[in-house]
Amino acid sequence: MNACDVVLLGVGGQGVLTVADLLTRSAFWIDVSASLVPTKGMAQRGGAVKAELRLGRAGGARIAPRTADIVLAMERSEALRALDLARPGGTVLLYDHVWLPAGALLGRDEYPSRERVVERLVDSALRVRWIDPATRPTVAGWPATANIVCLGALCACWQLAAILDPEIVERVVRDRWPKAAEANAAAFQFGFSGSWTQQLPADGRSEETRDAVG
Amino acid sequence: MPRLILTGNEAVARGALCAGVKVATGYPGTPSTGCLAHLLSLDLPGRHVEWSANEKVALEIAAGAAWAGQRALVTMKMTGVNVAYDALISFAYSGTNGGLVIYVADDPGVSAGMAEQDTRGFAEMSGLAVLEPATPADAYRLVREAFELSEAVGAPVFLRSTTAVALTHAPVSIDDTDKPSPDRPLVLEKDIARYTKAGSAICITQHQALLRRLDAAGRWIADRGLNVLRLSKTDTRVGLIVGGAVRACLDEALDAARIERDSVSVLELAASLPFPDELAVRLLAACDTVIVAEELEPYVERALYVLAQRTGWNGRIAGTLDGTFERTGEIGVPEIVRGLSSAVRSDSSGLAGRSPEVISPNGERPEAVLSSTGRPIPRPITVCAGCPHRGTYLAIERAIRDAGLSKDEVVVTGDIGCTILGMNPPFDLLWTEVSMGSSVSLAQGYAHAGVKTPVIATIGDSTFFHGGIPGLINAIQHRTPLTLVVMDNGWTSMTGMQVNPGTADAYQNEGRRVDLEAVLRGLGPDVLEIVDPYDLEATSAAVLRGLQRSVDRLKDSDSAAGVSVILAQRECAIQARRWGVAERRVVVNPEACILCRRCVQVTGCPALGLSFAETGDGSPGRQVIAVDPALCNGCGLCVSFCPPQALGWADTRGGDR
Repeated sequence: MNACDVVLLGVGGQGVLTVADLLTRSAFWIDVSASLVPTKGMAQRGGAVKAELRLGRAGGARIAPRTADIVLAMERSEALRALDLARPGGTVLLYDHVWLPAGALLGRDEYPSRERVVERLVDSALRVRWIDPATRPTVAGWPATANIVCLGALCACWQLAAILDPEIVERVVRDRWPKAAEANAAAFQFGFSGSWTQQLPADGRSEETRDAVG
Repeated sequence: MPRLILTGNEAVARGALCAGVKVATGYPGTPSTGCLAHLLSLDLPGRHVEWSANEKVALEIAAGAAWAGQRALVTMKMTGVNVAYDALISFAYSGTNGGLVIYVADDPGVSAGMAEQDTRGFAEMSGLAVLEPATPADAYRLVREAFELSEAVGAPVFLRSTTAVALTHAPVSIDDTDKPSPDRPLVLEKDIARYTKAGSAICITQHQALLRRLDAAGRWIADRGLNVLRLSKTDTRVGLIVGGAVRACLDEALDAARIERDSVSVLELAASLPFPDELAVRLLAACDTVIVAEELEPYVERALYVLAQRTGWNGRIAGTLDGTFERTGEIGVPEIVRGLSSAVRSDSSGLAGRSPEVISPNGERPEAVLSSTGRPIPRPITVCAGCPHRGTYLAIERAIRDAGLSKDEVVVTGDIGCTILGMNPPFDLLWTEVSMGSSVSLAQGYAHAGVKTPVIATIGDSTFFHGGIPGLINAIQHRTPLTLVVMDNGWTSMTGMQVNPGTADAYQNEGRRVDLEAVLRGLGPDVLEIVDPYDLEATSAAVLRGLQRSVDRLKDSDSAAGVSVILAQRECAIQARRWGVAERRVVVNPEACILCRRCVQVTGCPALGLSFAETGDGSPGRQVIAVDPALCNGCGLCVSFCPPQALGWADTRGGDR
């Protein structure tokens, strides 16, 4: 049986746990075993959020350090946590949103540039693909919903696509918010299409997306 | 059978329903909150479910129902047992009629805060059995077993889960077809020898009965086959004991260590207390080395040492006591692999040579990959945008300053819940956090110790109802010079918005609101002031008057002593927003912003960020402060800390950007 371990990172309020929940429900729908442990702490206060999602496995719900196949980070600085989470050769999907904590706003902490974050991850043998939030299409007058874009992008990663049919995930999204079905479908498709793709190392794409795109 | 995605907490709730629970009580606390919260989200005619005032009250209610013959569940986090234990030991002595299950979620690794304590210690002290689920589906099964066991032996039973089980979402098959009626025959037994403790003969007899029930529990668990022993089919003579959540990691760990499942003997414990002597004797007989993988305290491991001594077994035990596993944090796949590796490395069994790649690494912890330069920047948690507590902290800060004092000399005790966030930047105000209600009495100790500056205690509404009231009664009785700030936001908010005694009537289901102001007035403090924490001037003036009374008292012992209570009242901003209570919104005038960052420095509000001012030609202008309209709840505190008055109200500055 195929298996895939995904860690999702971000800041409270970004909808990270919703992405994890949608994937868990999609797996449930097609009877793929799934477990999800959200760690949100006091996340509604802008704290760090993490979700551990295991697909196609039975057993413990925790993902051991440096064994995750995919890490989604919805905030730039938080993406550095992937160094301790992703397996060598694993994929880091960075939605390059910047959420400055007070320490960075006041200049006490130096907030990293995207180049620096990507370089650190690539230096640790990780494949990095990132989405610039500014490239999101406008749907019905609003920028495409960030976490649904990320969900689409995750579904285009071959390790995940090998387990979860992206069409099932899209249907679960549609059923969850029937009134926003069209807007969410557009956001999902943008993420899934990979038209935003920027990645390092440069040859990463063909391998990471072969099944989903092909 | 329908299948649902449930958390471990929710699975306990569903299993308890399936077992016919009639009364369920609890007090919120991460990671246990989701169990009772789930029951409250369901429509359950004929059953009573409530958030109680504290864990002791919750247990006493559940036990009363169980003594009357009904099945009852009580839920709490690990530190809640400290509160409940005073009553719990007496219930252990008296036993129970209806099934009484005490569901506790421990937090190895401390994901949420408070002591990393092991509930099995309480079970050992009180001679009660403990069942420990490994997964949500296992929790659904074991809670029903716990009710059966409780009634079979007539004793309360602990169901102990941990964060990794309680919070995990996973599919669980629900047995809805076999739902018994919650109503059982009432038991009304008037028997002081059983239900009181007044007299030595009564207590000795009850203690003897308790020990007999513990033995009976051990036999029941053995007969039921809750613990499973699988002896190795090879001659490696290595054994492994795993309990609780660690059980779920076993197969994956053996795979990772490239050890055949059949080549080690495994004892899986779903019931760790009382210790399963018979199975353990058989395991020892088959092994020269036994590895005990249990999170936190080595209860199972110690019992195994005792058994080894009593049976004359001469093998080697690896576990927490010899440092194979740590006594803090969770045990997962990497820890078990490391444990197997280091325990077997010095062993002469065939296992050591069998999988050299994994078994032979030197057993040391791999170094963390993150260097100091590669870490994510810190995200210290603070109160939400619009949180009324922000106003209270800023008011206390201002009052201290206006009294001619500094934050570093004025002791401000803190308490459990959202209010403790005053310990973090930018407030850096609180000195202590101990246990529910401790701020009030701890402050009295500082005052009596002869501290030369006024002492302030802070506490939230739910925490005050839970454990703060006796401390305040004490302070009032002894005329202790003290300023107590009660921060009343109407909800038990830190754990995710539970109803407490002071929550508005509209959310009280069958119950009603207890008027916190009337409670305080009834206790009769020397001064009681009620303020709106969004009104910084009035709140800081009230705190200052309290400080001044203490200062006067410190200067002149004839001056009136006693307690000033300030009740700072405003509903939690998150809840107020949910109900659509429209506060005003703050906007920035980018031309006026000089980016002095004073607003961020003083308030630390998460709705404040940076953006580029518009230039008209599409090029990025200079950086200015931005207010995130999705986060701002319009308390307006930042407005009063903006020197160039660039921050203002949306409605007075010509609308939104």
